[in-house]
Amino acid sequence: MKELSLNILDITENSVKAGATLTEISIVESGDLLTLTIKDDGCGMSDEILKTVENPFYTTRTTRKVGLGIPLLKLAAEQTGGDVKIVSSTAADNHGTTVTARFFKNHLDFTPLGDIKETVVTLIQGHPDTDFLFTHQTQKGEVKLDTRELRVVLEGVPLDTYEVIVWIKEYLNEQYTLLSK
Amino acid sequence: MTVYELSQNSQFNVLTLPEPEREINGAYVGDLLSWVMGRAQADNVWITIMSNINVIAVASLSDVSCVLLAEDVTLDNDVLATAKEKGINILSTSLAIFEAAVKISGMI
Repeated sequence: MKELSLNILDITENSVKAGATLTEISIVESGDLLTLTIKDDGCGMSDEILKTVENPFYTTRTTRKVGLGIPLLKLAAEQTGGDVKIVSSTAADNHGTTVTARFFKNHLDFTPLGDIKETVVTLIQGHPDTDFLFTHQTQKGEVKLDTRELRVVLEGVPLDTYEVIVWIKEYLNEQYTLLSK
Repeated sequence: MTVYELSQNSQFNVLTLPEPEREINGAYVGDLLSWVMGRAQADNVWITIMSNINVIAVASLSDVSCVLLAEDVTLDNDVLATAKEKGINILSTSLAIFEAAVKISGMI
């Protein structure tokens, strides 16, 4: 993927497919390090499956839809000197998966983040019935969008309503403009 | 030209050749795997310098006839074993990517 935001879209789709009601996407930039965390409360993976998700051949030829998502994220992180860690649980009271990827931004092979706003909007538009908490911290401040807070204000208006999507785009644009100042 | 015929050229070495009779109809050059996945055509030779297990997955999904590792890039044994098992032909060459593509262009 030419942009990390496409990897993020790919991995988050896995969370939604795992039945997550809330998926937290966090990007933290601190000096040379960019840490991406995607945490969901979906069904989780058994240890057996967890061992295989980094190998594309345990995934592309089965009905389980994981694909090359994790292998390509791992490649993107490792080629900057970073890594990917996946923690998952299927326990009834604490199920879900957390994918953490670390990138070193100054490495020549670092893939730019790309259009993360568009990724967030695409996710909300595609899955208006699940919740997303998106945060992006840099040394200058934080961008945050929590669809649970939006739902309270919207009082039943679906998140994929045209006006809502337009508002979300503007809201993210405003926050990113403040962040770049 | 088949992959076997290509492999007979002294500048190309066989790493694994499970399907030697695959036809070659062209070539694709690229190292960004997700990009190659959507663009390499079936029966192309895919010339790359990438060498991890994902290369085998992308070669399989895009149905290229052969992967050509340029610039003396090598593969780990377990990756090679997977290629063999999945029927993915792998050749290597000491040529740089451009020279390898030019060479193949003159042969097909």
